[in-house]
Amino acid sequence: MSSVQAPVAPAFNGSARSVVGDAVQLSGVRKCYDEFVAVSDLTLTIYPGGIYGLLGPNGAGKTSTIRMLMGITVPDAGQITVFGQPLSRAHMDQFGYLPEERGLYKKMKVLDHLVFLGQLKGLSNTEATKRANTWSERFELSSWVERKVEELSKGMQQKVQFIAAILHDPRLIIMDEPFTGLDPANAVVLKDVLLEMAKSGKTILLSTHRMDQVERLCQSICLINHGRAVLEGDLNQIKAGCGRHNVQIKYDGDARFLQEKRLVQSFNDYGNYVEVRLAPGADSQELLRLAYATARVDRFEVMEPSLEEIFIDVVGKSNA
Amino acid sequence: MRNTWVILKREYLERVRTRIFLVLTLLAPAIMTALMVLPAKLATMGEKPEHIVIVASTKEFGATVRQQLLAEPLVSEENEDDAAKRKPETSYTIDIDTTASESGRTVLRGKITTREIDGFLWLTDDAIAAHTVAWDGREKAGSREKAWIRDAVNRVVQQQELGKKGLTAEQSAELLKPVEIETFRIENGRQIRSSGSGRFMEIIVMVMLIYVAVLLYGISVMRSVLEEKTSRIMEVLLSSASSTELMTGKLLGVGAVGLTQIVAWTVMAGVIALPSLATQPNFSELQLSPLVMISFVLYFLLGYLLYSTMYATVGAITTTEQEGQQLQFIIVIPLVLSVFMLAPVLRTPDSAAVVWMSMIPFFAPIVMYARIVVQTPPLWQIGLSLALMVGTIAGLVVLCARIYRIGVLIYGKRPNLPEIMKWLKYAKA
Repeated sequence: MSSVQAPVAPAFNGSARSVVGDAVQLSGVRKCYDEFVAVSDLTLTIYPGGIYGLLGPNGAGKTSTIRMLMGITVPDAGQITVFGQPLSRAHMDQFGYLPEERGLYKKMKVLDHLVFLGQLKGLSNTEATKRANTWSERFELSSWVERKVEELSKGMQQKVQFIAAILHDPRLIIMDEPFTGLDPANAVVLKDVLLEMAKSGKTILLSTHRMDQVERLCQSICLINHGRAVLEGDLNQIKAGCGRHNVQIKYDGDARFLQEKRLVQSFNDYGNYVEVRLAPGADSQELLRLAYATARVDRFEVMEPSLEEIFIDVVGKSNA
Repeated sequence: MRNTWVILKREYLERVRTRIFLVLTLLAPAIMTALMVLPAKLATMGEKPEHIVIVASTKEFGATVRQQLLAEPLVSEENEDDAAKRKPETSYTIDIDTTASESGRTVLRGKITTREIDGFLWLTDDAIAAHTVAWDGREKAGSREKAWIRDAVNRVVQQQELGKKGLTAEQSAELLKPVEIETFRIENGRQIRSSGSGRFMEIIVMVMLIYVAVLLYGISVMRSVLEEKTSRIMEVLLSSASSTELMTGKLLGVGAVGLTQIVAWTVMAGVIALPSLATQPNFSELQLSPLVMISFVLYFLLGYLLYSTMYATVGAITTTEQEGQQLQFIIVIPLVLSVFMLAPVLRTPDSAAVVWMSMIPFFAPIVMYARIVVQTPPLWQIGLSLALMVGTIAGLVVLCARIYRIGVLIYGKRPNLPEIMKWLKYAKA
């Protein structure tokens, strides 16, 4: 395993990534439970130094994929390579994992717990203690480290679990819905930490339903449905490829213009504003004129489709 | 290796720091002491002297028999030493009645009914001549009571007869001096003075310790496996360590707790309990040979580990504690069965059935240990039973680890047997 050929990244990435090589590559990975196919022929590549979004509806195979990546289950077919080598137990110490379902020993003290999990990842007692204290400070948990886990609130427990996932400074960090249950202030701290780590060259895999987070944080995504990748690659390019067919309108008054089938293919009312998908070949200016005629228009913006829209669109198509 | 050690350390510390460990460490010796001392105390406490009447033709003959009865201690088979302490002088009040008539007999029987006396001995000259004396008592005379009376009466009659033949009292006493039997047990060529009761105590101590340890810590293993499953921390653990490492660490940690407990008890027994126990007659019989002591520790630890592993497996299969508790009775069955088997083991420790029973890992901790205590079986049998236990534990750990690992994917209801088999198939790699 001394000389490993790093595969060249797909051309559209263009950047320095192709020089660094990939962090994680799944090719033709398949996992079945009895008759049920959880993941079938999944192929994706994750590059270091960024946040990769793993998206998909419930039961699409996200968690099954992550569990195979974490070595908890073994794929029935296909290959997983990590840092250019086939996945093995030896990689576990370089992985940090925050599962969707959080779990900690309730009766253990926070510091003991962090040190225990850190030692499982190969840290020494003193090093683990030192790092646990530093991170606890950053997440404002310092006054809680001597308390038992069960005395902490859900959000604090989640912070503890997040610290446990990154305590050993892993090269690959896998986060399954990391923001659920966190208040906005803590979510910002967590987001900042994730971005810092991405900048320092770590690879972060973010699995979530929250399209807004993916839109803000991720450079690349993989959308899976029924265990298959239906959309994979650089987020900006995916969006650009979908064209500018969307208009956001903030208005006050008669919404008759939304019923104009010639111009509006579909719309989604968010309350404060409405997002309109233009019919093929429709002119956005014509819609503006129509809206202007019946309502007071506060904002009218032509934009790329939101990830949510792409998601619903692609999932709908792949289900059909 | 590193992971196993880290997990072992956590399991050990988390248990040793609990209150229940402290309580058990302190309380168990007290309970054991009470168990050993109390029955003896209870047996002697509140015992009134028995009131016996000897019906004889002459006062002199009655008096001689009474003297003889009081001089000879009542010999008990199960509890020689205890009986030696119970001097007949304090346990019996013996009156002599010379009104040997049928009406007198009816009166005495009436007195038994009204509890004025406990029994009477019909020792008239006619009865002696017929070589049949009658004992009427509220309770049917036990074999040792019968022997006691028979020996005393025989002795007096024989002495009288010898006296008639012209022998002096000393001569006849010399002639009638009984032969005593001392019993020894040979272990590894060494002679060990023993009585059944001391042996039995050792085995009971073992049974009690294993039972207590298995019930308390076995269930705590089951709980901790269940906790990891329900709290879903197992997913984090499994991303750091293999399930076999996890299970091995967990069980060794629990084993270390058991070892600590034993050491603590031994030290406490040496410091506190021994002086008080030494005065107990049964305890002086408790001469532990090195072989017995080593096998005690080995069989205790392995038995405890084996049963803990079974509890861990139940924890891996079930999803809630209630379910686990429903299943755990299955685990205790072999333990209870081994206790039932103790009687045949003590009687015929080397019968084929007992030998094979002692090889079965689930029975070995009690049955094989009992065999070692009573008779020293061939070393290869001890070795084989130990090896079988270690093998079974290792096999169970692997099995349990697989079920545990697959359990991460499963929620909700308890799997049935075919489903468990399927899990094992998934977990092969």
